[in-house]
Formats: sequence, C-alpha cells, structure tokens
Amino acid sequence: MNAPILYQIQDQQCWLSAERAIFWENQSSLILSDTHFGKTGHFRKNGIGVPQAVFHEDLQRMMDLLSFFKPARLVVVGDLFHSAANLELDLFAKWRSDFTQLEMVLVKGNHDILAEHWYQEHQIKVEKAVYQLGPFQFAHDPMHTTDSHETGFLLSGHLHPGVSLSGMGKQNLHFPCFYFTKTSCILPAFSRFSGTATVKKKKDNTIFAIVNQQLIEITR
Amino acid sequence: MLQESKGYGVIKKWLEKKDFHPFEFQEQTWEQIMQGGSGLVNAPTGCGKTFSVFLGTLIQYINQHPNQYQSKAPGHLQLLWITPLRALAKDICRAMEAVLAELEIPWTVGIRNGDTSTSERQKQKRKVPEILIITPESLHLLLAQKDCSSVFAHVQWVAVDEWHELMGSKRGVQVELAITRLIGMQVKDKICLWGISATIGNLEEAKEVLLAPLQETGCIIRAIIDKKIEVHSIIPDEISEYPWAGHLGIKLAEKLIPIIEASNSTLIFINTRGMSETWYQTILNVAPQLAGAIALHHGSIEPELRAWVEDALHAEKLKAVVCTASLDLGVDFRPVDTVIQVGSPKGVARFLQRAGRSGHGPGEISKLYFLPTHSLELVEAAALKQAIIENKIESKDPMLLCFDVLIQYLCTLAVGDGFDANTILKEIKTSYCFADISIEEWTKILLHITQGGIALNQYDEYHKVVVENGLYKVTSRKIAMRHRMHIGTIVSDAMLKVKFLGGGYVGVIEEYFISRLDPGDVFTLAGRNLELVMIKDMDVLVRKSSAKKSIVPSWNGGRMSLTANLGAILRETFNKALVDESSIEIRSLRHLFQTQAMLSKIPRDNELLIEQIESKDGYHLLVYPFEGRQVHEAMSAILAYRIAQIMPISFSIAMNDYGFELLSDQPIPVDDSNVQELFNTENLFADIQKSINSAEMSKRKFRDIAVIGGLIFQGFPGEHKKARHLQSSAALLYKVFEEYEPDNILFRQAFRELMEQQMEEHRLRAALDRMYHSKILVCFPKQLTPLAFPIVVDGLNRNSLSSEKLEDRVKKMQEQLSKS
Repeated sequence: MNAPILYQIQDQQCWLSAERAIFWENQSSLILSDTHFGKTGHFRKNGIGVPQAVFHEDLQRMMDLLSFFKPARLVVVGDLFHSAANLELDLFAKWRSDFTQLEMVLVKGNHDILAEHWYQEHQIKVEKAVYQLGPFQFAHDPMHTTDSHETGFLLSGHLHPGVSLSGMGKQNLHFPCFYFTKTSCILPAFSRFSGTATVKKKKDNTIFAIVNQQLIEITR
Repeated sequence: MLQESKGYGVIKKWLEKKDFHPFEFQEQTWEQIMQGGSGLVNAPTGCGKTFSVFLGTLIQYINQHPNQYQSKAPGHLQLLWITPLRALAKDICRAMEAVLAELEIPWTVGIRNGDTSTSERQKQKRKVPEILIITPESLHLLLAQKDCSSVFAHVQWVAVDEWHELMGSKRGVQVELAITRLIGMQVKDKICLWGISATIGNLEEAKEVLLAPLQETGCIIRAIIDKKIEVHSIIPDEISEYPWAGHLGIKLAEKLIPIIEASNSTLIFINTRGMSETWYQTILNVAPQLAGAIALHHGSIEPELRAWVEDALHAEKLKAVVCTASLDLGVDFRPVDTVIQVGSPKGVARFLQRAGRSGHGPGEISKLYFLPTHSLELVEAAALKQAIIENKIESKDPMLLCFDVLIQYLCTLAVGDGFDANTILKEIKTSYCFADISIEEWTKILLHITQGGIALNQYDEYHKVVVENGLYKVTSRKIAMRHRMHIGTIVSDAMLKVKFLGGGYVGVIEEYFISRLDPGDVFTLAGRNLELVMIKDMDVLVRKSSAKKSIVPSWNGGRMSLTANLGAILRETFNKALVDESSIEIRSLRHLFQTQAMLSKIPRDNELLIEQIESKDGYHLLVYPFEGRQVHEAMSAILAYRIAQIMPISFSIAMNDYGFELLSDQPIPVDDSNVQELFNTENLFADIQKSINSAEMSKRKFRDIAVIGGLIFQGFPGEHKKARHLQSSAALLYKVFEEYEPDNILFRQAFRELMEQQMEEHRLRAALDRMYHSKILVCFPKQLTPLAFPIVVDGLNRNSLSSEKLEDRVKKMQEQLSKS
C-alpha cells in the first residue's frame, strides 16, 4: 500500500488513501463509501456470471486498510450492501465477527435495503440520514440538505466521482477521485465493480485523482 | 420429369391463365425441389425469386397429395420462411395468400415477428399455419417455448431469404443454429433447405455455409438476368479543397429537386439516421411544394408510420422517400424508378443492391444518382463505376465460433424443453460456424451457463441453467422471462420512447443522445422539431417546437467501412488524378488535386504517402494506405505500438477510409531512415497481440458480445427500478473481466473476433507487405492537406495508445495546462 497523504480539513488530520478511503486520525475513524458488498453475488444469483473475485478483493482491501490504520471506528457513508441479502453477505458477516472490537456505523444509502435486524445482528449502527461526529457530518447523498441543527463539514458518497483530464494531442484520461469543496468531500466508490460520474475542477475545489496506486492532486 | 408431374401441370395452367411465363431459373428450382434437393437461388430482387422456391414447394405438395390437395389441409407446418426484415413479411404473406386462394389450396400463412400481436400468437399456437414467415429472433423465441418440437416436427421446406445479408452476421449464425435444431427435431423426413441470395463474391461458400447442417452439397441456381445500371454523379458547382465529411452534401440539395420532379418515385438513401433527418428537412426547405409528397423512413421511426410510408410508396402516393438501410432489402416498390445515393455506399455490393431498388420490370434500367457528401467521395464514385464495369463484387466472410450466440442459444433451449448436451453438441458441430469447436471450449461453455465462471464456492449462488436428469434446463421463471426478452443479436444502445406530453408516440431515441440534452433543448426526430420537456421513467416527453435551430440526434450505429475490394480500385483511381481526366468526377476535382500536389503529393497505386504536419493540436503523422476504416484501425494500432517502442510516447489515433492519423503532443520519431521498418512483417503476430492490448481495441467488440451473451441486462418496461441493481455498463464489465477473469470465454471472444475480422494476420501481412515494398513518400506539408483534413477534423471514435507511465502523463497534462 502506498503511503497515504495528509489532508487537513479545518483543524482535523485526515489521511487520504489511494485505496479509496479516508482515515480521520482525531477520531480514529476509517471512512469508506459505496462498498456495494454483495453486488457480484446479486448479479450471479440472477444468472449474470461476473467474477466474484472483485468482491473478495474489495473485502481484502478493506481488511488491509483496517490493519494499516488500526481505527476504532469504521464509518460507511452509504451503499454498504448492493441489494437484498445473499451468500456473499455471509462472508462479510464472518469477517465482521473477527473484528468485534471495531465500532461500525452505516449512514444509509439508496442501496441499503436490508432489514433492521440484520444490521443489529452484525453490530452495525445505522443512521437513517445523517451521522454527526465532532465537527463532521456524514450523509450518503452530497445533495443532502442540512437541517439547521446539523452543522459541520459534510462527507458523502453516492456519486462515484471521477475526473477527466485532457492534454495536447487530443489526449484524454479518466480516473476515480476524491472531490473536496470548502465545506464538503465526496469520496470515491470503494468497490472496484463500480463506474464513475464526471466532476469538474473549479477554482475553489480540490481534486485528488487515483492514478494506479497513487494520489495526484489535479490543479487545473 | 418436372413437366410430367401433376403439380407442375397445375401451376403451369395457373400461370398461363395469368399470362405469366416462368423464368428458366424458376423452373430449375422447381425441378430441384421436386427431387428433394436443396440449394441456393441467386437472383436479384424483383424478378420472382420468392416464386422460385414457394411455387416449387406447392408443386411438390400437389405431387404428394394429387387428389386431395384442395380438400384437406395438412394441419401442420410445411414451409418455414425465414426473412431478416419485418417489412418484407407482409408483402410475402400477401403474395402467397393470393396464390393459395387462386389455386384453392386450403393452407394458412402466418407471420411471426416482433410486431405479431399476442392474440395472433395464441391463434398460431392453437392451430399452426402451414406456412410461417419468421425472423431469426422469433424463430429462436419459438425454440424457447415448451414442447416446440410439435410445431416443427413435420416441416418439409425451409427457405432463408436474403441469405447474403444474414451470412457474415451473428443473425446468420442464429439461423445456422436454428437449422441444426430443425433438422434434429424431424421425425421421419429430411428437410429441404433453400437459400435466396443476391450476388456476392463467394456464392459457392454462401451455399456451403447454409447447407452445412444437411451435409449435402446442393446446387446453385442462377437467374441470368442482365440488369442495366446507369450511374450519374452529381457534381458540385464549386469544389472545396478541404473536404469536410457531411458538409458538402446538404448544399447540393437543390440539385436533387429536378431529379425528383422528373421521376415517378425516388428513394434517397442516406447512410445514417441522423443525416436522414437533416436531409428530409433540407429538401422540404428548398422545395416546399413537395410537402406531403415526400416522407422519411428509418429504423427509429414508429412502426405504424413506417408501414404507412411503405404502403404509400406502393400506391404511388409519394414522390420521394428519404431513407436509410431500412429500405435496403427485398421490398419491391414498383413505382420507384430512381435512386439517389447520398454519401459513399462503401462497397460495390451495397451500391448495386441500392441501384436495384429502381427499375424493377424486366428490361428496365436501374438509374442511380450519386451525391457526394465531401468532394473526395467523387473519387469513390469513379471507382464504383469502374468496379461495376469489372463486376468486382465483395465476398461476405462467414463468422466462426461465435460463443456469445451459442451461449444465448443454449439458454434458449434450456428455457424451452431443456437439452441433452451430447445431442446438441453433435448438432451444432454440423453447422459451419461451430464445426471446429473443441471439447475444451464446449465444456467451458457448459460450465459458463451452469456455474458462471470463477466463484468462491461456498459463498456463491450462481443460478442460470441447471442439470436435471441429464437435461440442461432453466427452472427459474424470472430468469426464463428475462432470457426471452433478450433473445437476439442486434445490439443497440438503450432506447427511450419519445412521446408528446399530451400522448402520441413519435419514435425512439438513444439514451446516449438524450442524456446530453437539457430540458428546453430542441431536437429533430421523424422530421419534427421537438422540445425536450422531461425524461420520465423510460419515456422522453416532448412538445412541438417552432424553433429554427435544433439538434440532430446522432445514432451510435457503427460506421461502415470501405471494403478492401473498393479500396484497391480506389488506389488505382488515384492514378488518374491530374493525368487522365476522362471521367467527370476526376476532372471536377482538378483544383483539389492541385492543392494536394502543391502541399504534398498525390499517391499513385505503387506509392505510400506519409505526411508529417505540426499544428496547434500537436504533431500529426498521416498515412494513406486506402484500405478502408477497419484495416486502418488495425494498422494504426500496430504502427503506433511500434513507434512507441522507440521511446515513451502517447498517441491519439483517428482514421477514415483513406488513411489514418497518429497524433502526439511531442515530435514523432519517424523519418526516411526508419519509416520502411514500420511496415516490416517480422514479428507481426506478436505485435498484433500487443497492440490490441495496448489500444484496448477489443473493448468495442466486447459490448455486443456481453449483450448477446447475457452479461448485460437491459431491463424491461415496468421492472426497471428493481432491475437497476442488475445493470452495469459494458465498459465496467470489460474492466472487471480484464482484471479478475481474463480467460472468461466471452471476454476472450472479443479478442478473437478482433483477430479474425480486423486483425487477421495474413490480410494485414499482405497489406503491410504491399506498403513495405511500395515507394514510401515522406512529406512535411506546412499545413493540412486535402487528404489529411477530413481525418484530422473528425474527432469521433479515436483510439489511444501509450508507452508512457500513467503518472507521468497526468503530470505532463497538468504542466501543459499551466503553461497555456
């Protein structure tokens, strides 16, 4: 794993990883978005033979991040699971039972349709719309409009942001990315079995493109 | 023998009463059918090819039942008539019904295709008609029904219409597979199989492919009908030295009006649906008097409107119809006496076919006007005329080992009565397409449909086809229903229906196009200007607009490539530039050729022209092999790959039918000293493989394969919300397979198809060899030349290839931007 880069949000220490995660040091929290676990299983159950290795590797990558940062808390800002329950979730559950010390919070996304008790059984604290922690708030959809009593920097997902670069000689490249404004951050989709939606570089936002295993800040 | 038979007597008497005289090829076909033979009838449209096979089957039927052919119907399917076009079915049905009525044979004729109503289907189920006119897709849908063998068990004759159009496509493979099954289902008699085909370069092979499952040689029956064709080019008054595709044509619209007015009915063929909309508008603008007498016909217009246009053409109510390939085939519109081809038809066979849409009657002349959309197309017109004189017509290569179609077919059988693996393997091995399938491949395919590739055994629930008592079956109703919705091999983008706010259906449009519009934008469809109001579910809601400006939709449909055949003639035609101006096309381009010669050179057929030009976009290397877009795509990737081995460099690649462009942000290290080596055929095989990988060329092929092979679920009305959890793009699947399961059978097929169709080694070797041994001219023009211009300005479908590190490219792009 390449070394994460430090990105300060207000006075908070955040580490951005090219493995599509943020480690928030002050609260010892690992933040992910759009993991879409169970997606390959959902496809396969419906007769579409996509390789399950994607899921396996996504799960492995999450474990690597957990053992690297050793967080006390895992926050997923939505779309933890792709669809209804399937056997792939059993593998997830098995993993969960090995990390009982880890607090896990899910801010519900549009794909999270499992029954409440499933989350309870696996010690996942579910927030329906917004989760507030210190100076940060978490919501799945970046368009989420804050109520007056919810304040702070917003971390979200849902969009699967990607950035397009063009250069001389009609060259074009496209990468998944982290997208920051002064008041918010949209995380890249953690799942490798996911597409991207293009965001544009503007004057007062910051974009980190994920280029192979490296993060490169896009300045133009 | 024919003459003595009762059936012949009956038919002959009927023909005489109508004062019809059978052509020799028709009688030959009848004779063959009487003897139980199979074969291929080669005849142009409009000279009784339908009757050659159809009347033959009637003769034989009368011979089989000389005393009761009028009193008793057989009550089961006798003749299966496979046709690629829905529009043809009604015509053929009407013609057959008229004959049966006059001969008092109590057969019924049924049509089965996407337009057949549910009630009609139910009726056919209760009582199977004696003749069924069907599309390849609907035939496979029937195979997906329970107990389908009862429908087909007694079929005597199978006719495949327009075989030249089906062969070489995946629909043709669908037909091949269905035929192996039809033969397998027969209880006692064997099937007689007849193909009907227009002229192509490899008729013998076409017959071989079709008849392979019968394991018979069969015969070819040719209609010797000498069709006179007159080709006229429409020459623009002013020739632009910088030919920009598409822009010239519209200006010439005025020149069409006198042609339309002097003709009875005119078909105007346009290569793309988008341009056909523009042309329809333009003609109405320059000749408002034609309003009401001119119509538009293409595949995205609602079926009712299309049917109305077809009927109106028959009834001589229309002066002209602007159309696309949608009116290419088969249908005879007798009133049509003139055809206008706008833009290059890209091949001799297609050109002749379109010309044949006019002047049907025996002895009549087919008149065709060629209108160039950019000035260089005039050279193509000259080449086409030459090709017609020399009768150089393209071949169509049959497709081999299309595993996506096979996977779909096996699932179709599994949805129906289920299949026994050994029986079906034996059957498919009789087809031309799958004759060489290996046991390993077959096993892999069975594994693919039952286990879905690589999985984490205990956490997997893959479910599609299951084996029950030795039979491969689909047991889930949901999967069965979904499969039936997806039978077919014509892959198009997700289509949305366009409707008026107050109701009323206009047509369909690609999601890709509409997703780029905002509410309030005005676009053109079916010749109307429409304002986008909103997109709701799968519908695009619009209202009429009086706006002057509108956006013309682009349909993503593949661009045709110039055939290699026409390419060779084109190279020879360039020899005449500024030298032999006997043809009007070459003469009118004098100015353009002079500019080309002044800035660079005019390549003769023993020369290869290479231009290096610097512009604000970067450094261009242009190569002109004149081999057609498809070959250029392959060749440009190999060249880019080879140059990229010299130093780290990135290319953006564009091509047209004349040549290709490698564009880079840095000078391209090619000059007199190393240029020839780029065309060396040593290590070609390895370089082909590497360049395919680096340029991700199989990506586009994979899209169709993924849809046909059932990896992409397009959803269907009413269920699309839930279905969204099953949707993914072809690009994403490509990425996932590339990374996690690169030996997946469908993923490999994309690569293989590319190798066979575009990157075929010996064809590329021959082309490279020709270039290696030609005189290579490297020029450094100060500005874009007339030959370079259309390639460079065309931004669509660029490929890319790079030997630089991705991280370096990103950094370089950032630096370039900060400098500018």
